[in-house]
Amino acid sequence: MTNTPRGRRVLASASIAAAAAIILAGCAGGIAGGGGSDADESGPIKLGLLAPFSGSESVFGEYMQNGAQLAVDEINSDGGVNGRELELVAEDDACDATASVAAANKLVAAGIEGSVGGYCSGATLPTLPIFSEAGIPMVIPAANSNKLVEAGLDNVFLINGTGTQQAAATLEYALKVGATRVAVLNDNTDYSKDLAVSFVEQAEEDGTLEVVLDQSVTPGEKDYSANVNNVMSSNPDFVVWTGYYQEGALITRQLVDAGYDGPILVGDGSVDRKFAEIAGEGYTDNVVATFTQTPDMLEGAGDWIGDYEEAFGSEPGPYSTQSYDAVRVMAEAMTDAGSTDTDAVIEALRGLDGFPIFSGPLTFTPEGTLSEGGFAIVSIDADGTFVLKDDLQS
Amino acid sequence: MIEFITGDLFQLIWNGLFVGSFYALVALGYSMVYGIIKLLNFAHGDIYMLGSFIAFVLLGSVIGFLGTASLPILLLVLLITMILTGGIGVLIERVAYRPLRNSPRLAVLITAVGVSFTLEYGVRQIFGPAPEVFPFRLSGESVEVLGGRVSVPQIVLMVIAALLMWVLQLYVMRSKEGRAMRAIALDPRATLLMGVNVNRVISRTFFIGSALAGAAGVMAGAYYGSIDFLMGFTIGLKAFTAAVIGGIGNLYGAMLGGLVLGLLESFGTFVLGGEWRDVFTFACLILFLSIRPTGILGARIAERM
Repeated sequence: MTNTPRGRRVLASASIAAAAAIILAGCAGGIAGGGGSDADESGPIKLGLLAPFSGSESVFGEYMQNGAQLAVDEINSDGGVNGRELELVAEDDACDATASVAAANKLVAAGIEGSVGGYCSGATLPTLPIFSEAGIPMVIPAANSNKLVEAGLDNVFLINGTGTQQAAATLEYALKVGATRVAVLNDNTDYSKDLAVSFVEQAEEDGTLEVVLDQSVTPGEKDYSANVNNVMSSNPDFVVWTGYYQEGALITRQLVDAGYDGPILVGDGSVDRKFAEIAGEGYTDNVVATFTQTPDMLEGAGDWIGDYEEAFGSEPGPYSTQSYDAVRVMAEAMTDAGSTDTDAVIEALRGLDGFPIFSGPLTFTPEGTLSEGGFAIVSIDADGTFVLKDDLQS
Repeated sequence: MIEFITGDLFQLIWNGLFVGSFYALVALGYSMVYGIIKLLNFAHGDIYMLGSFIAFVLLGSVIGFLGTASLPILLLVLLITMILTGGIGVLIERVAYRPLRNSPRLAVLITAVGVSFTLEYGVRQIFGPAPEVFPFRLSGESVEVLGGRVSVPQIVLMVIAALLMWVLQLYVMRSKEGRAMRAIALDPRATLLMGVNVNRVISRTFFIGSALAGAAGVMAGAYYGSIDFLMGFTIGLKAFTAAVIGGIGNLYGAMLGGLVLGLLESFGTFVLGGEWRDVFTFACLILFLSIRPTGILGARIAERM
């Protein structure tokens, strides 16, 4: 059959591709002549951005590329890094493990000296060994599966909160509103499954509330009445959806139509203006989301949104800010290191202390994740935007 | 306790039949085209997608003009969309399939896949990858029936689907053109020798099948509220499955197959959980075909269509 969008992100294909990646990476090292650190020292510093520009997640690629480009332009107009300009090289990973391996090799061959991409965890995972072999530090803006951390590579840094941190915020909020029976739905992608598994583990460890349902749905469909029926049969007082907004909004509408009137908490993949539009008026009153704070929630970010709109003629979307920050973090580390030497840049990334990014001051843990998850609870206001509801600080 | 079970049971059956009627509408086009020229038209699901996008544009301009929309307007849009998607179906057949009519089956199959991608990514270029929100929603009260919830829009859509299928059935079984279709399914060469314009009948088959898929697309948009360029892919696959379960090439088989598939999914999800639904459904398909390769109603092989 054709290359199905469904199941593109399943782990099985990711691990096969990872195996292939290791083999390919060996070859790529030869072609690229050792990768980033040996690149031409006078030309621009090339930063690679892997993101989905085709396939089911392609909507996010543009948001990410624009965010990253904005940072590149700002840094260049301030004189660049170590006297060299930055140049963004974007490649399409189609949110697909096989495509991402090919795209990563292409970036290595193009002589990038840092990677600032990675949206789908399943597609990002097999690229880790490629960039690691080629000596390219990675600041991953969006992908946040724990598997990326478990790979244990020292060139990998995540600036989006991890699944574990997000799940902890989810549990914290569920307990705060006194939930006792929680139904969890995921869409079987790495990101979503990871979040669901992590939430269920933490909830069981905590023991206060009961997880009454933990199931997957098939993404890309319109009718979720069968899944909704299962949720209703389990009689929950709190529903958690860990997937993306396209399905999340449909499930929310169908849940409410089926008579559910409790809170519905969705993950950061569901935070998009379209969520409320798709779900429809009157369907999102009880919807909240875990989210890293976005420009419109942060003080003084109005200028940033204005700059973005001026540059690209469209509004920023999910992961625009993270991609913007990924470039800035990488540039800061390269400046601190005074070169683009792999070890020096990695050392500099580890040494960052309270570097200001959108989600708060950035300091990496030894595993290369954020020391503070930075997750807050947002709700949907009357015109469909997500607004800060509870920053979970108290 | 017993009431709980009957309530659940009714809800499961209703959910299954509702989704199944969408599958059935799309499956009909698959099945008719296969019956007549033995082509698995993989672009058929994308006609469904095109239908919802055409209605999206039409409704958008109507609402821009009148400021509002209502059920009669939706029905009018449905009709116009059916004519347009029907026309697109005819055009696709003329451009992509007819020149290959005497080529190996595989060449046409790959062409169909090519058409499918062309339509998907063509729409993506125009409307972008993000889902669009349908400008008009069917909304209405839910009523309790036998302990299950049934909503008015669901009833409206099922009535429309049933009407469309009834008209199609009349057309194929009672009219002269319908008889020509069935004759071609039986033996194209002999039909040609009898003086039937085979090309015209094939065009007509594509028109009807594509119009039905377009109608399903409009209905899905109005009910679920979001449309995207890949929405035809999954339903195309499901409709194909439905057509095979029912007995591909058989008109009633496609309708029955759609409903059976909807019910299998509904019960599979309930008993085994969401993640096992497709495993269950497609395992049933395999089992079905190994026991009864012609599908439920495939026995009437002498007169497919």
